[in-house]
Amino acid sequence: MNTRREFLTRSGFGVGGIALAHLLQQDGLLAAPSKPGENLPMDLKAKVPHFAPKAKAMISLFMHGGPSHVDLFDPKPELTKHNGQDYGGQVHYSFVNRASKKLFGSPWKFEKRGQCGTEISELLPNIGSIADDICVVRSMHTGHNGHEVSIRYFHGGIAGVTGRPTMGSWIVYGLGSESQNLPAYMVLSDPGGHPVDGTHNWSSGFMPPLYQGTVLRAQEPRILNLDAPLNLRGPIQRENLELLGELNRRHLASHPGEADLETRIASYELASRMQSAAKDALDVSKESDRVHKMYGLDQPETREYGTRCLIARRLIERGVRFVQLFLGGQPWDTHENIRSGLPAICRRTDRPSAALVMDLKQRGLLDTTIVHWGGEIGRLPVSEGELTDKSGRDHNGQGFSIWLAGGGIKGGMTYGTTDEVGHKAEDNVVTPNDFQATLLYLLGIDHQKLVYHSNGREQKIADGRPARVVQEILR
Amino acid sequence: MKLPTPIPRWRVLFVCVIAFVPASVRADVLTFEKDVRPILKAYCLDCHGSGEKVAGKLDLRLKRFIEQGGSNGPALVVKDPVKSLIIERMKSGEMPPTEKKVPPAQIAIIEQWIANGATINRPEPEKLPPGIDITPEDRAYWFYQPLQRPTVPTTAAHPIDAFIVAKLREKNLDLSAEADKRTLIRRATFDLSGLPPTPEEVAAFVADSSSDAYEKLLDRLLASPRYGERWGRHWLDVAGYADSDGDGTTDTVRPYAWKYRDYVIRAMNSDKPFNQFIIEQLAGDELVPAPWKNLTAEQIDQLAATGFLRMAPDPTTSNGDTAPLANQVVGDTLRIVSTSLLGLSVGCAQCHDHRYDPIPQVDYFRFRAVFEPALDPANWRRSNQRHVSLYTDADRAKSDAINAEVQKLQGEYNIKQSKFMDAALEKELLKHPEHQRVPLREAYKTPADKRNPEQKKLLELHPSVNLNPGVLYQYDAAAADELKRDQASIAAKQALRPIEDFVAVTNETPGSLPKTHLFYRGDYRAPKQVITPGDLTIAAPDGARFEIPEKDPKLATSGRRLAYARHLTSGKHPLVGRVLANRIWLQHFGRGIVDTPGEFGLLGVRPTHPALLDFLAVELAERGWSLKSMHKLIMTSRVYRQSSVMTPNTTDRDNQFYSRFPLRRLEAEAIRDHILSVSGLLDDKAFGPPIPIVEDFVGQVIAQNDSPRRSIYLQVRRTKPVSLLSAFDAAGTAVNCDRRISSTAAPQSLMLMNSDFVLKNAELFAKRLREQKPTLTEQISLAWSIAYQRPISPEESAAVTKFLEKQTAHHADAKTPNPDFHALVNLCQQLMCSNEFLYVD
Repeated sequence: MNTRREFLTRSGFGVGGIALAHLLQQDGLLAAPSKPGENLPMDLKAKVPHFAPKAKAMISLFMHGGPSHVDLFDPKPELTKHNGQDYGGQVHYSFVNRASKKLFGSPWKFEKRGQCGTEISELLPNIGSIADDICVVRSMHTGHNGHEVSIRYFHGGIAGVTGRPTMGSWIVYGLGSESQNLPAYMVLSDPGGHPVDGTHNWSSGFMPPLYQGTVLRAQEPRILNLDAPLNLRGPIQRENLELLGELNRRHLASHPGEADLETRIASYELASRMQSAAKDALDVSKESDRVHKMYGLDQPETREYGTRCLIARRLIERGVRFVQLFLGGQPWDTHENIRSGLPAICRRTDRPSAALVMDLKQRGLLDTTIVHWGGEIGRLPVSEGELTDKSGRDHNGQGFSIWLAGGGIKGGMTYGTTDEVGHKAEDNVVTPNDFQATLLYLLGIDHQKLVYHSNGREQKIADGRPARVVQEILR
Repeated sequence: MKLPTPIPRWRVLFVCVIAFVPASVRADVLTFEKDVRPILKAYCLDCHGSGEKVAGKLDLRLKRFIEQGGSNGPALVVKDPVKSLIIERMKSGEMPPTEKKVPPAQIAIIEQWIANGATINRPEPEKLPPGIDITPEDRAYWFYQPLQRPTVPTTAAHPIDAFIVAKLREKNLDLSAEADKRTLIRRATFDLSGLPPTPEEVAAFVADSSSDAYEKLLDRLLASPRYGERWGRHWLDVAGYADSDGDGTTDTVRPYAWKYRDYVIRAMNSDKPFNQFIIEQLAGDELVPAPWKNLTAEQIDQLAATGFLRMAPDPTTSNGDTAPLANQVVGDTLRIVSTSLLGLSVGCAQCHDHRYDPIPQVDYFRFRAVFEPALDPANWRRSNQRHVSLYTDADRAKSDAINAEVQKLQGEYNIKQSKFMDAALEKELLKHPEHQRVPLREAYKTPADKRNPEQKKLLELHPSVNLNPGVLYQYDAAAADELKRDQASIAAKQALRPIEDFVAVTNETPGSLPKTHLFYRGDYRAPKQVITPGDLTIAAPDGARFEIPEKDPKLATSGRRLAYARHLTSGKHPLVGRVLANRIWLQHFGRGIVDTPGEFGLLGVRPTHPALLDFLAVELAERGWSLKSMHKLIMTSRVYRQSSVMTPNTTDRDNQFYSRFPLRRLEAEAIRDHILSVSGLLDDKAFGPPIPIVEDFVGQVIAQNDSPRRSIYLQVRRTKPVSLLSAFDAAGTAVNCDRRISSTAAPQSLMLMNSDFVLKNAELFAKRLREQKPTLTEQISLAWSIAYQRPISPEESAAVTKFLEKQTAHHADAKTPNPDFHALVNLCQQLMCSNEFLYVD
């Protein structure tokens, strides 16, 4: 490959951007579509999608641990009716040693919400209030009960396999960044620590690190070392970076074609622009009291998650392509004491999640921003261990619910069903690969055509497995 | 990077189902054993073959059995896939009933096999014992072949070059030109010491035109104490070294873990034969005869070595010795042992027969049985219950004598104190009317809780009578001073006691020999049959599995780990030799010959140069397990000495075939040490307790008092990784770290641009330049030789001069004192941020 071209394209959004862009246009290289057998240019410049996109960005509220769909989004009157009776069907347990066949009816009531009348649990009053904006998919299926196995399926496209780029990496690889000042793919971590499966949740796998998620700290300062000391700001820092750029360019000239060197050059340029842009983006004090209240920043229970949801919106406003919020400590993994555990995590996330959708809508951003709310699995309709007041539910990858909103998703609907007790997805089953294909489609990408060549192998997000764009839930 | 608050691991399901795609299109004839059985093993045999009973009476382990069928009749009709039930069930998705379905491409293979006549490789037996057997096809996998010295190709004089060049030629490629001497010394010095060469060392090497200049360089580097700090760290990654237990947010400090770290460094520096190194880590305690008193330095080392088996995080420290937690520690420890030495995900066989590799579940428990006497959940000992005192008899005698003296002195002190107090009281009472003195004295002498209301009232009315030793000085200063002096001399006496030091040891509980049971589905609450210790079945030829006696009659301990360690390091073990040789290669080239260094099985990556790997494994054993000798072998090859510059239009862009030396970013520790070395601050003091880490006011985790010790000596707290190190991908401590990644992200740039650490060292670097050279030109050129180990070019010199002028003006504008000095600091910092500083070519 022509190294000059590579160098130019890879470092193309950096120092002397205008002159460089001019050069690139002369070369006809700007956002050049990939040729067969070749990768897209390894940079973060905005790329031309495969077709007109409905969405420009995505926020994923990832609910680690497996939210209990039969208590939240998928009402099962039969389950309630037969509470305490033995289930006649086959159950796929994770914890065989604690396996029970006792049907465990939801202790909570469901109510028809919005004009559409989607039934949503009383545990989620705020999400209920946006029922007309969301599409609840009730037929998710990973086929695997394990957390990591299913998480990797959602993120990387193959159940259980690590070392693959996450969906955020694929999106940024395919579309580049709209922002010149912020990383295109950002992860908002939880004060409770990294989620299960750690850094795999935002790894770029076999793609260069350019495409991995940038993790923001859970506490202030969310980005360490964001500011130069006072005496080094302004022209001094500019000169510093210019010299550094020159040193690095000379070094690169003696090692042409080394992608890692080029990526690091770009990372300095990004870092310097981030200094002001990120500060601004992360400063939620600039928002009005009304907005603070809307996200629950005035309440101790919702303040933390609400702040992150609000930051997510501020990042999307500034052109960040993909933002993902994670939870540490598996709060949805309610193996026991679901009666206390589930309401607690609902209280923590319900208002902020709903506020995010409402806020995006009020700002006219919902049309172009996909919001995803969901975990990697759901939970069983039977109790884990004996059925008592302290019971919980075991993992269930056979059938569970998520919801999507905005960015071309049809609101006010439900899609797919599980069986009468909520164990297995029955009609219109949606796999993580279908999920990926659908979201990429909304972003203007044909998942079959988004290809990355790694060590002689053509890689795609679904890796050749069946992946369907779920047209029925699109507007 | 923040470590997660550990969650109860039992909640994270132990499922190891991983998609596995066998070569889909095969030109040769499809056979049951080679093509079909692996698919059935991955998807079906769990229910239809592995257990004592098979579901629906259908056993899929042999073609004959499939044909015979089960409750629903024959499952296979030869040459008629459409009528074969097995195909129908798979296609309809009915089977397997749970989890993942068989991918269409794999069903197609089975269909094709049936259509072609359902060929088998060899006659099938009449009967099979229960369970999934290990087939000749399983055994044929490259990793399980006996280790043999391969024929060295004749393409080059150096054997390593010969293997690499042979492959390069096949691809119409060649090695690159030899790197220049400056590049070589920089590369070798970082590789063997984790530090840059000094300008003097570079100059001497460049000037040395003798034919063995390079070998002499390697000898010097290998003899340096810095070597063990570099290569020891590589091993600590694999061992999962940490100075804390990782018991949730408490993250209790392990006060003696560092002795294991020091042991590793010493072992590397003394080039302890690697077989001995492994034996000591697995069974050092079994080498030291009990009772452990008056230990020699060597014995202490052997005990410290067993720290290897107690590196796994241990939540029991603050969460109680619950069975799930203790079993988790055992599982993590086995994972560390298996990924570091066996190169197989043995852990996948904890719940069921490994779905891809030939590791039956019972093998996992054979492996566990080796360690169970030392790591016994039923008789659990937490980290802090495994400390062995290093007090010698002499220490103890001395300590006892001093204690007796102290006790005597303390007794005298107490008497003296009450005498002084009485005197002071009497003196004070004299200030009160006579009639009150007796009741006041009585009230004072009555213990507080026994005083009657009048006495309490009386004392309240006369507070000055309430004397206590703490206020004695207010009544009798001379007496108080005397007591103070006495107290000091008692303390001085106490301080003469020898400090009791400890070493953390993994050993067996004497007299206890627990039985190991197979756990049904890996659940410790469902123990099944007793399993005796032994090696993995696949690691020996058919029928020759290495079994270990439950108790070695010649030893006080069970002897299991010692027997196992000796077996592993016999030089013939097919797994261990390859795994170790691969690790050595990985550290020199940044990539293993097997690129998944902890997983050589079917789920791992195949070796790029299998014969070379075998050659290195054989050499390692034959060279007396000398790591230093292996370094020399590898580093004298042309493959190692070639240039890293990519040939234009090369077909080996990813450097898969080693057509150039790989350009690599320094690891986290080397970046920090490099910065400290350039600033002149680096303290090369070796060994000892770790430097505590602290959080600065913004929450960055840094070394206490900005300690300039080498990074390997900074405390490794699982919940508080040093910010600079974790930003540059330091080893994770969730369990252990098989291989580092090398990421590039904006936070790293911010760290170098703005962190106090870098700014401070840049300033020191500038000071150092000014102290050593009088003129700016000389200072700049010295900066280049310290930071880059090369002379500055005229173009660079011009650019830098211009830069310094501009920065000086900016600093002057801002009324900063010494503007020219600050400009120089700016330059020094940019050097530290630059790619040439961060990468080794």
